[in-house]
Parts: sequence; structure tokens; C-alpha cells
Amino acid sequence: MATTKDRLRGTLDVLILKTLSWGPRHGYAIARWLEDTTGDALTIEEGSLYPSLYRMEQRGWIESEWGTSELGRDAKFYRLTPVGRKQLRAETAEWKSFASVVIGVLQCETPVRSGA
Amino acid sequence: MTEKKSGGPGRRVRQSNPFWKASADDLVDAELDFHLAMRERDLAARGTDPAAAHRLALARFGDLESVAAECRELAHQTERKVRKTEYLAELTHDARFALRQLAKAPGFATVAILTLALGIGATTAIFSAVEAVVLRRFAYAHPERTVLVNEIEKGLDGNVSAGNYVDWAREAKSFAELGTTNFRSFNLAEGNTPERVPGAAVSASFFRVFGVPPLLGRAIADAEDQPGQSSVVVLSEGFWRRRFGADSAILGRSIRLDGEPHTVIGVMPESFDPLVVKEQLWVPIAFTAERRATHDEHYLNVVGLLKPDVTMAQANREMGEIMKSLAQRFPIDDGERGARVVSLPDFITGPFRARLLLLLGSVVLVLLIACGNVANLLLARSSARAKEMAIRAAIGAGRGRIVRQLLAESFVLALLAAGAGLLLARAGIAVLVANAPRGVPRLSEAGIDVAVILFAFAAAVVSAVLSGLAPAVRLAREDLQATLREGGRNSMSPTRDRVRTLLVAAEVALALTLLTGAGLLIRSSLNLGRVDPGFEVQGLLTARIALPARAYKEGAPQTELAFRQLVDDLGRRPGVLSAAATSQAPMGPGGNQNGLIPEGRALEPKNAVLARLRMVTPGYFATLKVPLRRGRLFTDDDKAGAPRVMIVSEALARSMWPGEDPVGKRVACCEGSPTDPKWKTVVGVAGDVRSGGPMQDVVPEFYLPVAQVPAEAWDWIQRTMTIVVRGDRTDPATLAGAIRAAARTMDPSLPVYRITAMRDELRSSMAQEQFNTGLLTILGVVGLLLAAVGIYSVIAYFVTLRSHEIGVRMALGATGRDVVGLLAWQGMRPILGGVVVGGMLAGWGTSLLHDSLFGVDARDPVTFGLVALLLIVTGFAATVIPAIRATRVDPTRALQG
Repeated sequence: MATTKDRLRGTLDVLILKTLSWGPRHGYAIARWLEDTTGDALTIEEGSLYPSLYRMEQRGWIESEWGTSELGRDAKFYRLTPVGRKQLRAETAEWKSFASVVIGVLQCETPVRSGA
Repeated sequence: MTEKKSGGPGRRVRQSNPFWKASADDLVDAELDFHLAMRERDLAARGTDPAAAHRLALARFGDLESVAAECRELAHQTERKVRKTEYLAELTHDARFALRQLAKAPGFATVAILTLALGIGATTAIFSAVEAVVLRRFAYAHPERTVLVNEIEKGLDGNVSAGNYVDWAREAKSFAELGTTNFRSFNLAEGNTPERVPGAAVSASFFRVFGVPPLLGRAIADAEDQPGQSSVVVLSEGFWRRRFGADSAILGRSIRLDGEPHTVIGVMPESFDPLVVKEQLWVPIAFTAERRATHDEHYLNVVGLLKPDVTMAQANREMGEIMKSLAQRFPIDDGERGARVVSLPDFITGPFRARLLLLLGSVVLVLLIACGNVANLLLARSSARAKEMAIRAAIGAGRGRIVRQLLAESFVLALLAAGAGLLLARAGIAVLVANAPRGVPRLSEAGIDVAVILFAFAAAVVSAVLSGLAPAVRLAREDLQATLREGGRNSMSPTRDRVRTLLVAAEVALALTLLTGAGLLIRSSLNLGRVDPGFEVQGLLTARIALPARAYKEGAPQTELAFRQLVDDLGRRPGVLSAAATSQAPMGPGGNQNGLIPEGRALEPKNAVLARLRMVTPGYFATLKVPLRRGRLFTDDDKAGAPRVMIVSEALARSMWPGEDPVGKRVACCEGSPTDPKWKTVVGVAGDVRSGGPMQDVVPEFYLPVAQVPAEAWDWIQRTMTIVVRGDRTDPATLAGAIRAAARTMDPSLPVYRITAMRDELRSSMAQEQFNTGLLTILGVVGLLLAAVGIYSVIAYFVTLRSHEIGVRMALGATGRDVVGLLAWQGMRPILGGVVVGGMLAGWGTSLLHDSLFGVDARDPVTFGLVALLLIVTGFAATVIPAIRATRVDPTRALQG
């Protein structure tokens, strides 16, 4: 259970980092971007976004700054730090290799005989 | 806190924060509110009904409360982390800056660091001794419950009889364990060299009291602590290593002690030295039934382990009750006796605690003087840097920041000094341990450990605050604007003057206190050196010889004959003027006390006068040159069967027969019964001897000729005598060979031990006092030198400041003498003030020395006067030299400057 939750959180973290790789955004903008790009395929509670943001800020992957939103309201903007950028690269590579292994297995058509 | 700084560590996040003063909690709420508001707006824009949009936004968000709570917690954590990083960054910055500043002034830095290092090093060295001797936990399983149980007679602690110990162990309920030990030495005949080994006969329960597991094998079992059992022995680790090369096959081996075979059953670890007497082996005490019933002969040490819920007071009450009932059952032996339960660690460290703490207090005074000097240096430096500070303040550095920067400097100084001080302390401890008098328990364990290092750094922190705070605050409070206007020229601010004068006065007061203590101890030492010991010390050599019970089992005549033959043989050897044997030589080990009842008083214990017994061969008085005051000395005719005789000391004669001639009086003692008192006739009066060394008062003593002592007396002293030899050369050490040769002639397996020249015995009886005197004198001199340097630098500084004024005065016609007089008077005022305050401080401080003083009062006016004079003269010299130098300056140059 805990591992599933951790994996989900880790997934969310890397998605947030990816979102921020194009420039600073506030929390709501991140939520909207995730919603739009995944087409609601990842149904997460929007609230779970924020603890992830705070945690990553604490780790130094992202940093925040209060500014004015496009509608003139005060909003907290997040942006990637160099450490966060490195983290994003590392996790992306990990995901890619993980995905290729899983896909390789899933696409395999003849069973490999054991103890040949 | 209003300073704006971009790019500083940890500040990025906040620099444009509109909620600058808002709390982290409010910020979390604001952020989440923004999210919900935006979602609501988007939903409404897509045509959702506003009320539904609000609900829907909340639903999509999830559990708002728990998210907010988690975010708040995380925000707090982040905040703390940021604050810590910021703080550490500033700290490193301050420290680096301070180091750079010190590197720019290497002379100042060296002097300040060395001064503090001296103070911290000395304080740390003494602390390590205090820690090892007093503070360190004893290596018992339960030190807080481990006690010593003594018999009390006439208010004095004393040893315990076997009968009392057995009855206590049976009746007392306060103790989880009660054990006993009797220290004694054993002759070990293993290999070629016979050796005398200090050891103890102990009960099996003795080991259980301390609960220390053996290194090898096991401790003594109850079944082995019985008479008639084959003998076993437990060795100490040190003895096992030294004598048996740490042979692991030692268990089960048989060794000969006092001629009897003993099987080795265990080895106790080095740390097992429960009474700090360094015994090397333990054998079962194995009381016989007869011994268990004997309530006379008080020779045991009894230790106990209190039950966990029993207090010292409860144990004492119970022992009081038990002694009351024993007094009724054994009125002669226990009628006048009580019992006292005391903490064993306190009992062992007690006599040394006060002295060591006194030394620690003295050395702290030296550290304070060192701090005063460094404060002075920092003050001088800060006034030289007044302009720099003013500029820093002008460009926006807060006062707090400046103070912190200055304090950082003194902290860096003090920490560097602590490092150097620890090196000094290490050397100091080695010197201390090597020169300390014998018998200070656990002192040899003193060294640099974690506690000592922590102490050194704590001392450094305190020193940093003491020496750095005053200059820092003074500087920060100063009118920096004014300083700037004056172009950085030093203004003579009267307040700063006062701080310096106070520092001088304080240093003088502290140095005076130290020197007064040292002075009193020096006078005591001189007095001790003049005490007449009652015999001629020079040219005497002493040695101990013990005859084993097995070889001398035929009893008193055989033992007495052996010693007499030994002494006769010795007396005929070349270089020997005369030789004698005694149960106890002055200042030496051994000896016992007996009660004496003069003829005419009822033969009851309450009429007895206690006096120290010395069993001697007839040549004793001539050999030691103890003067005969009346009557005659012992002769060879005072032998067994002849009329029984004794010689009393003057002190005993005075207390038993005040105003009468004691010669011819008869005394009952040491043997016999009320019906047959075995009267002994006093034939002579000998001069008093300081048996406990010059520090101790003279006690009543009496002498019996060895040929006439009761047979049991040989058991009291375990057939051990001190051989005393006077030689014809000045160096008594050459006589040692003669004693060894004579002993070998008598019995080659007989060890001769504790060979000591009497003058060394005398010296070591005063070693503790000499050591304290020496140490306090060193501290006093160091304190005086530091204070002198401090006074000199302050006066020199004043003179520099006033060189302009001096120039004016001299241009207006003042003579050099006028100027020197003026400056000297101003310089002397704080010194005189310090002398007065120091005198009061010393008056209080020296009362703590009371127990260490001999023949001099703690408020001895001569010492106080001389020390005050010494400080005034030193202070005057330190004042006048810079003053005279000032007058040598050409007035025109001073005026231009």
C-alpha cells in the first residue's frame, strides 16, 4: 500500500517537475496543465499537488516566489532549480528504461523456456 | 532586519514576498484559496452555476483540511531549515572575517591566544585531576549504593571485629550484600626472587558487593570461604600480566603464598580496585568458628551494598539498633562502640575533594586574570578600529551585527586558545601526575578525555564572553558619528577609561588573592621544615621484613630470636653504626594501639588510656637517637621471665600521671585479666616523637621490649617488623645491601621490602603539603606576571593617548618629575583599590585553606602585608616605566602629533 502511494507520489513529482521545465507556474496552472495534457487520464485529487510542491521545495528541487497572476491576483509561483532540473533528467531516464523493459516484456510473443 | 540584500543565501524566496510579515500558515491558506478561487472561476466560465461551482471545486480538490495541515507542517520545516542555513552561513562568514582580521594583526593574535591558552590549559589540567579523582564514576556495579561500614569509638571511625561483622551480616536487613576485607601482604616464592605482594583476605561476598565480573575464571565462592578448605587465590590483572606474563593457562595453577600452595581460580580486571589500595591478589578470609565469635581485635574493613530502596539514614538507624544490642551482649568489647554507614566513593574521595576544588578555584582566578588581559588587548584594538566601525555603521551595519562581529573575534581567539590550551594541559597533566604525592586515589587515571575536552571548550566560551563582551558593547554604544567626524582620532571617552581601570583593579585583586594563599602555604612549609621530629632523621634507613607463620609456628620466642639475631648480625656489618627492630618506625606503616590502665584505677575498659604501642629491640632508642628524659633504657636483661618493664613517652606520662614522676609506676596493658593484670613497671621516659609526620600532633606512645611482649602481639603485627639502621655514611641508601644480605643469611626466601631512607619518609609525609604549596606558588607567580603585563599595557595605552596633553604640560614648564608623578598617581589608584578589594577577597578565600596551614593563621597579617606590598611595588614599576618613557618624548613632536 505504502509502496503504491510512494510510486504515485514519485510519478506526480516527476510530472510536476516536467510541467515546471517550461517556466515558472503557480499551483493551479500546474494542475490545469496536467489535466489538459493527460486528458484527465490521471485522476488525482488536485489537493495532493500541494504537499508534493512543498516537499520538493524543501528538498531544493524547486523554489517559489510570490507574484501577480495573469488575473491580477497574488499567487505563488514555482520554478525549477538546477538541482530540480538534474532530478528531472535522472527520473526521465529511469522512466524511459523502465518503460522499455516493461514494453519489451509485454510485446514478447513466444514464451521463453526455462531451464533450456 | 530591514536590510535588503539580494543573492544572499536562503533569501531568494522571500525577497519579493508581499506577505513579508505573514506567517507560514497564512501563506499556505492564501495559496490554497487562490487555487480554489481559480477553479471556481474556470468552472463558472464554462457555465456551471456559481453555487455548484464552489462545491465542485472543493470536491475536486479533495480533503482541504488535511492537505492544508500537511502543507503547513512542511512549510514550517522548510522555514526552520532556511533559518538554520542562514544562521550557519552568517556564522561561517563571521568566523572567516574574524580569522582574516586576526591574521592581519599577528602580534595581537599571538599574545591574546597564548595568554588565554595559558589560562585555559592550566584550568583544564587541574580539572582533569578533579575529574579523575572526584567526579569519575567508580567502577562498581552500583556506586550509589556501595557503602563502607565502620565501627565508631569515641567519635572516631575504626575497623571492625570479626564477631561484629558476622553478627551484622546475620542481623542487618538494609544490605543486599555485606562483605569484608583484611589488607595484608603475602610472601610469594615463585622463581628466583622472593617478593612481598600486597593483597587481601576477603569474604566471598566481598566480590558480590562490587559486582565486577572477573576477566578470567571466577571469584571466590561461598564454599571456599570456609576454614579447612584447600586454598584458592584470585589475582589482579596487573599482577597476572607482570608476574605471569598474562598466561591464559594460569587458571588451576598452584602458586606458593607464605609457603602455602594456593590454586589460582580467577583474574580480576585492572578496573577492579574497589578501595583504591591496589591490592594484587585476594584469598578467602575463611573465619574459624573461634574467630567468628571474637568481638575483640578490630582489624577488618566492611563494605556493603544497600538494598535498592534503603537510604543511608535507614541503614545507619538499623546499624545503631544492632550495635545497641551487641553492646549489651558484649559489654567489654562493644560497650563503647557504635557503627556508621557511609558512601564508599565519598569516603575514598572525601579527603581530596576540598583540596582539589581549592586548586581548581585558584587556577580559575588565573584564567580570569588572563581574560582581563585579553579584554584589555581587545579594548585597545577596538579603539584603534573605531573609525572602521564607524564607517561600517554609517553604511548600514546594525549595532547588533557589529557586536556579533566583535564577539566572533573573541570566540575565534578563545577557541584557538582552547586548542593550544589542551596541548598545554596534556603536558601539565603529565607533570602533575609525575610530581603528585603518593596516595591520591585515581590521580594516575587523569588525562584528556571527552569530559576534559568539553570543559576546555566551555572554559573557552566563558573566556570569550568575559573578554569580548565589554569591549564589544562599549564600542557599539559609542557615538560612532562623533568618531567619524573626528576623523578617527581617539576620543578619550571617560566611560572607557573606567572599564580599563576596573580591569586593572580586578586583576590586582585576583592576583593578590592567589598570592596570599600561596604565601600562607609557603609560611606553613617553612614552619613544617622547622618541626623537630623527636629523633635524628639523617642517616637512617628502614626496611620491612615479615616472617611467615608457617616457618615460625613455634611462637614468640622463635620469632623474637630471629629478629634479634638479624639485628645483631646487621650491627656487625661494615658501614652500620647501629641497628634495631621495631613494630613501627615513625612515619612508617604498621603499629597498633592499646588501652593502658595505671595502677590505682579500677581495671575496667572505661579507665583505659589509649596509646600507640611500639615493640622494640633494646638498641631502638640509640639507633634513632630518641632522647631519654628520665630513668633508663631497655637492656638485654629485660627478657622473658624477668620483671616486666615499659618505657612511656612524655605525652603519655603527662596524661597518665600529670605532675608526677612516672618511673616506678605500674601499668596493666595488652594482656592478662582483672585477676592477673601482669603489671608492667615504667623504667624510663622517652622524648616525644612525631610518628605521623610533622603535620600531625604528638600522640601518647609506649614501648615494650620485644623479649617481653605477649605471644598474641606477634599475631597483631603479623610477625612483621621494621628494621632501622643507622650508617656511618651520609647516604643511607648504601645500607640497603647490608639489610638484604643479613636477611638472606637468615632465610634466603625472605623478602625485604619497603626499603626507605627516613629522610624520604619525612619528605613524603609532607609531600601533599609541599605539592599544594608548589602548585599554588606557581599559580600565584603566573597570576602576578599576567597582572603586571595587564597593568603595564593599560598605563602605556593611557600614556600614548595623553602624549599630546603631556607635551602641552611640559611645554608650559612642568618637569618630567611632575608628569611622572601625575601619571603614576592616576595609575596607582586602581592598583590600590584592587589591593583593598583583593585583601577582602583573600580574607574570605584563605579561610578555605585552614586545614592545610601549619603554625600560621589563615589571616596572618605578615603574609597579607608582604603580598600587598609585593603587588604595590610590581604595580608601581609597571606604571612608572611607561610614564617615564612618556616624558622622554620631545614636547614639540608630541604637540605636532
